[in-house]
Amino acid sequence: MTRLLLLTASVLALSVPALAQQGGSPTPRALAPGVQVEVEQPGGGQAAPGRVDETALRYYARIGDVARLEAEIARLKSIDPSWQPPKDLFAPQPVQAGVDESPFWKLVSAGQMAEARAAIAEARRKTPSWQPSEKLLAELDIAEATARLRGASEGKRWQEVVDAAAADPRLLTCNRLDSLWRTAEAYGELKQTDRAFELFRTAATTCTKASERRDTLFKASRYLPQDRMRELADIAGSANPAPGEDYAIVRRAMAELDVGRTLERLGAKGVNPPAEDLARAESNVTERRDADAAIALGWFYQNKKQFGQARDWFTRANEWAASDRAAEGLILALAGLNRKEEAVAAGAPWRGKSERVDRALRAVVKPPGGGGGGPQGPSPLDRAVAARDWSLCLDLIERERRANRVTAGLAQQRGWCLMELNRPSEAEDSFAEARALSAKAGGAERRRIAEEAQYGGMVARMRMDDTAGVMHDLPGSGLGAEHQRDLKASALASQALRAYQEERFRDTLRLLDARLPLAPESRGLTLMRGWTLYNMNRHGEALELFEALDRRLSTEDTRNAVDTARQAIYRGG
Amino acid sequence: MIVGGKITGRGNGSVDPGRRALLGAGAAGMLAAVLPAPARGQTGGAQTAGAELDAPSWHGFAGRFLGADGRVTDTGNGGISHSEGQGYGLVLATAARDRGAVDRLWGWTKRNLMVRPDGLSAWKWESGKGVTDPNNATDGDILIAWGLLRAAELWKDADLRGAALALLQAIRQHTLVRQAGMTLPLPGVTGFRRGGAVIVNPSYLIMPAFQAFAAAEPSGGWDGVIGSALVFLAKARIGQGQLPPDWALLAEDGSLTLPDGFRKQFGYDAIRVPLYLAWAGYRDPWYFRPYGAFAAPFGNGPIPATVSLPGGTTAQVPASVGMLAVLRLATRIAESGNAIVVPPLGADEDYYSTVLFLLTRLAERSLGLSP
Repeated sequence: MTRLLLLTASVLALSVPALAQQGGSPTPRALAPGVQVEVEQPGGGQAAPGRVDETALRYYARIGDVARLEAEIARLKSIDPSWQPPKDLFAPQPVQAGVDESPFWKLVSAGQMAEARAAIAEARRKTPSWQPSEKLLAELDIAEATARLRGASEGKRWQEVVDAAAADPRLLTCNRLDSLWRTAEAYGELKQTDRAFELFRTAATTCTKASERRDTLFKASRYLPQDRMRELADIAGSANPAPGEDYAIVRRAMAELDVGRTLERLGAKGVNPPAEDLARAESNVTERRDADAAIALGWFYQNKKQFGQARDWFTRANEWAASDRAAEGLILALAGLNRKEEAVAAGAPWRGKSERVDRALRAVVKPPGGGGGGPQGPSPLDRAVAARDWSLCLDLIERERRANRVTAGLAQQRGWCLMELNRPSEAEDSFAEARALSAKAGGAERRRIAEEAQYGGMVARMRMDDTAGVMHDLPGSGLGAEHQRDLKASALASQALRAYQEERFRDTLRLLDARLPLAPESRGLTLMRGWTLYNMNRHGEALELFEALDRRLSTEDTRNAVDTARQAIYRGG
Repeated sequence: MIVGGKITGRGNGSVDPGRRALLGAGAAGMLAAVLPAPARGQTGGAQTAGAELDAPSWHGFAGRFLGADGRVTDTGNGGISHSEGQGYGLVLATAARDRGAVDRLWGWTKRNLMVRPDGLSAWKWESGKGVTDPNNATDGDILIAWGLLRAAELWKDADLRGAALALLQAIRQHTLVRQAGMTLPLPGVTGFRRGGAVIVNPSYLIMPAFQAFAAAEPSGGWDGVIGSALVFLAKARIGQGQLPPDWALLAEDGSLTLPDGFRKQFGYDAIRVPLYLAWAGYRDPWYFRPYGAFAAPFGNGPIPATVSLPGGTTAQVPASVGMLAVLRLATRIAESGNAIVVPPLGADEDYYSTVLFLLTRLAERSLGLSP
């Protein structure tokens, strides 16, 4: 020993800086690496046998992290049900002799794992008799494994995700739900559906929070076929219920997914979803009284000329949440059924207030001056508009023009059909023509047509990016309040879009917010709002918006948005 | 790799492939045969009491690799000489208390390699040609400075100390960079920046040398380098095996990847990482476990010299005796339970394997792990 000490000391004199001495504590110190002095370590962070390790608990109490404190109390109680949190948790603790672990915990909770490892290694070099607490080491191990798993997942290195998860089974528990999900997704990407299902099932059975189970379903829906999804949803909705949790949201989530899938297919032209899926979607829509979904179903039937079913869905939509969109569909469905009076009645609440309802009504009610169509039912032009066949609309009106039978109403209709075809400059001309022709009409009719035509012209100018001009002309235009409001909303939308394109994100939000009281936000605008928030690094809010959109109707756009926002959040820690 | 029209020293990895190729071909012995005659007589003199390196080991090294003029020859790399070899020579000669050898080593180094205006050494010298690459290799500079410092303190030599401090100052001024909150040495003054990222060689983080520098220059900022190196090495764990790479690219945000243009592997460079950590007194098993885990599956059979990263494909070439010695040390500290058998140095063991073997012995003695 003496010889060893001599040898060691002679090397150390050259290679090691002044030996560190622990501040304030005279006993535990290292003489040199390899020369260990046995020192009694009072409370060196190690748990006494048979008792739970309160190191982390005390740390969280000291820094005042209540959420983590509570989670740690719950965890310790699950290990030892007889254990009670110490009463002196918030009392100042005497500084422990030896090595104080709190700097390491501070680094760990700041996510600075490498820095924590370095600090621990340095402390162990200076105090060889000291060992970090099991709890601290476990926390570090799992945080590092989690980071590796996450890195592999974000790099889409799916096999590495699976390997990293295999290295530490603690990663695949509800406590580490993010890792569990990412691993399940990796199996999904690797086409190992059974394994993916197993992990999603672990989440759906062991996580007691209803919201976690619901989100598990949303994630699984990208990888599991319908039958496995239904199996998973059954489990998630019933297994191991915890008091105070409402698993109805899990079942509703499954319904949303079903409807989302079906509606997505309804949107594609010429695609007929299986009758079974359609029936399930319909019953879910009814159960949830989802007006948007009902309108989608209405248009699905309307396009198939099944006007009765279309009418029923538009009616339900209107009952659940009255809107001009529902009224528009209802008018056209009733027209399809040849029930013109009912159609007019259905449009009455929105007449003069909604462009789309007015347009639908014009398609149903024969415009003054004719336009084809007898008193028996809708004219070919009505049918063309109801079927949203805008080219046919132009053809039919062109036929009237050649026969020199063009009227203010027809010119106006032509303007709207051109707008639908995104030909705004021709539409503007057509509206101007309608205004000129309106002089031939009499009285109130003349004023109504003239105002409508003026409104149409301004909408056309807006489409041609003359927002500033329209806003300038608006106060003196004599347009009704509803029309003015529509135009303002439309102007704000296009200004918001421009601001977004110019990456003036603060302005984008301001403009979108200013628009909100004027008109409901469309799906496209909400998506833009989400991307604006995303670009302002408000990733959490963006994700919330995207998820809400995606749940309502999942499309490529919304799924990408959800993915991107989620990744940004994970990256940012 | 050619950067800015110049070969960037060891940044190109040109030394290592040679090392590996020669090991694989078993040609080290043939090279040894064409080396200058052993300078056995030059190393004589009574061994100083308390030497960390025993006389037979030192004479074995000096006889085969140290010329009478004070030049160390790398037998695994076509008989070239380099700043790293001079540095290792100084460290070993000092440990053996061979003052004469120290003076010859430093004399040759000063005359032949200290040719740069910035006070650092040119890394590469070839017989008959002189300096063939004037770039510096920072590990060589660190090793030379450390060797000089040890010698200066042992023999209370103010000239050696002055030379050491001058070199330390040059290292501080020209190679240390601040990146992602860490202060680390560039592998060479030029050619190791990639946009905002820097290339770092983990095996150039010679921890016991940094500790000695911190003692010699208390306000030189070396404690910060030590702390940074520990953080960096905690990050430099790649793939499933968590082994350090020979070369790493450190981005401004602190993320670490494997740079293009360098072999993506744990190999001849990175094997020194656990040696230097252990030698500096670091005993935290976490830093050593990857080596134990790497060696374990091979049992008593040959252990591969290199592992590709991040994939983990191992080379056919077996680890040299010196590499095995490092792995045994690391495995012991990792407490991973597997025992690695290290055969004695062969009669034709090459320069690098011999150096690793002897340095490991020094480290083990300083740690009390061997008599």
